Amino acid sequence: MTQIATTGSLPANMDQLELAFNGIEYKVERRRDAFFVHKRREGASYGDGQQIVLVTGSHTLQVPWLETGQGRTLEQFPFAYIVAERMWAPVSQTFLFPPDLKEYYSIGAWNGACMDCHVTQGQSRFVQGNTWDSQVAEFGIACEACHSEGAEHVALNRNPIRRFKIHLTTKSDPSMTNPSRLKGPDSGLACGQCHSVWAFNNMTDKIDFNRHGASFRPGQHDLAKRFVVQPSTSDHTDQKDFIHRTEPDFFRNRFWDDGMIRVTGREFNGVQASPCFRGGEFSCISCHEMHLDTPNHTDVKRWARTGQLKPEMDSDAACLQCHKDMSARLAAHTHHLADSSGSSCYNCHMPRTTFGLLHAMRSHQVSSPSVKESITYGRPNACNLCHLDQTLAWTAQKLHDWYGQPTPKLSPDDQTIAAGVRWIVKGDAGQRVLMAWGFGWEPAQKIAGRDWLYPYLIYSLTDPYAAVRFDAWKSLQTLPGFQNYSFNYTTTDRLLSDAAARAYEKWLHEVRDSNAAYRPETLLDSNGRWQQDIFQRLRTERDNKRILLAE
Amino acid sequence: MMRSAPRAQTIKKNAHRNLRFGWWSLLVFLSLGGALETLHGFKIGWYVDVGNETRRLMFTLAHAHGTLLALINIAAGLTARNVDRFELRPSVSFALIWAAILLPAGFFLGGIVIYDGDPGLGVWLVPVGAILLFYSIACIALDLSKLK
Repeated sequence: MTQIATTGSLPANMDQLELAFNGIEYKVERRRDAFFVHKRREGASYGDGQQIVLVTGSHTLQVPWLETGQGRTLEQFPFAYIVAERMWAPVSQTFLFPPDLKEYYSIGAWNGACMDCHVTQGQSRFVQGNTWDSQVAEFGIACEACHSEGAEHVALNRNPIRRFKIHLTTKSDPSMTNPSRLKGPDSGLACGQCHSVWAFNNMTDKIDFNRHGASFRPGQHDLAKRFVVQPSTSDHTDQKDFIHRTEPDFFRNRFWDDGMIRVTGREFNGVQASPCFRGGEFSCISCHEMHLDTPNHTDVKRWARTGQLKPEMDSDAACLQCHKDMSARLAAHTHHLADSSGSSCYNCHMPRTTFGLLHAMRSHQVSSPSVKESITYGRPNACNLCHLDQTLAWTAQKLHDWYGQPTPKLSPDDQTIAAGVRWIVKGDAGQRVLMAWGFGWEPAQKIAGRDWLYPYLIYSLTDPYAAVRFDAWKSLQTLPGFQNYSFNYTTTDRLLSDAAARAYEKWLHEVRDSNAAYRPETLLDSNGRWQQDIFQRLRTERDNKRILLAE
Repeated sequence: MMRSAPRAQTIKKNAHRNLRFGWWSLLVFLSLGGALETLHGFKIGWYVDVGNETRRLMFTLAHAHGTLLALINIAAGLTARNVDRFELRPSVSFALIWAAILLPAGFFLGGIVIYDGDPGLGVWLVPVGAILLFYSIACIALDLSKLK
């Protein structure tokens, strides 16, 4: 959501904030209840201030926007506030961006892109050059974003007799869309109008959307001028071909190679591709609620931080709403103890294979784990996201024995090196960041052990991708001896190396359990040192292709 | 002009009814105020949660109207006792008492069951009470004016 920048909506420590990035220094000045950003090249004088007028994000990450003096065109403040850490970091280091990419959202980006979803009924209204005359119905995600236009509803319900007729009968008010009363696909689309990867049908529709905003209204069956982009379906082939030609990285930056969504904020792609969706009832609000309907169950802040789930929907109860028979044969189905994390529906069928806002999130495409998905598409499978210390061959054997899955052709490394080790050392940045987060995931630590995780997380503190370093740091803090470990993940390569070297020495000489035993698949010898020949080979073989996962 | 004894007694009786009702009513609605403050003090969700704003408004209005109408009943009784030749007619006396019952009761009942932004059905007592109040106040004002 985007809000007006006020002392209440901006982070508490804005006053006198001084930051530097990419050769430019920034100083924030407060004048009454407004904040102004002064910029200068290093060594030069500060220029006139630009007022911070809007701020996007609230729970996790906040990005302020500055006036430019060109109509309603906004410029991004190049730093984002990480709410949980109470720290500022360059925006380009709060997403999974290649290290050479210093600036992602530039002048006009909010007008041209962000406002499509971060306000209610935004109209970008491009003027010329990089000037915009953007307008919104309301800032934030207001009632009409999900319930459609309210003018008629408001006019009709000025009549108290009409209101009481509705109150005192079970009749719903036809003048207002209620997603909870829609069929699953239509209900999901109300969320999916923003929470999906979408594209315009054609240039005319794009221009019309830019001028007048979305013509889709919740309750309708499709996105009108737009469509949900699913790489693996046969619809909108001309439009998808056009995207392939004009923006070659579009799909790679958003989807795994089998078409499964891999960035957060686009969950409807996953929901729509799930087998459950075909039943016609399954939608976002099968598990989530947009109003805290049972305030006694949890407090509003916790509810907002934990996906706005309905009560009990963080458990198997979510799936058992439909798969009622499964509760009686859970252990037989999962081959894990019924009360263990291995019997959690979510952990196997919605593993954390999407990434954004500096953390791994559950895939919203309900699927079954396979080794094929890891070998062919590079996506960590659910089994090895928990059994980090096991090989792909071990997983393939289990899936064959338990579910009759054919065993794919496996390489020697697939048979001898733990999947977690290979992904965090040799994987591409997308795999590495999922591992850097996953090594701190408590259920995985309980199953795979903690002792061997230290050197890999410390090694990842020097990863070229800032997001990997951040998650490695946070995961390291989950391990004994490093709970209060402080680390600046945005600093220079030299300081990162120094910090990692100190952390490694601390682990090796102060924290390491001398009685710890390491499985050979983890590539650590009995002294906790890497089997250098294999480790160095994996490092050399690291997949350095550019990965850019925004949201 | 001297009032006849039975007529004077009737006037006194009406005035006494409104005075007695007024003071008891004041006690009830001041107690309600205390109860509402207690609900605030203990942050009772049924009363203070954001979603129960309508209930909070209804109960506050019940408290305020009940207290104010109790004072009006006392004022009417004292006026009848102290203004020469002024007669608080029985219909006016009862209308004032019923207004002081129906108005706050309507707000209170309307707050017990609420429908999102709307009060419950009990709120329909409020306009009935308002009409009785308007009638009684208008009669008192006119009757006092006639004494000139």
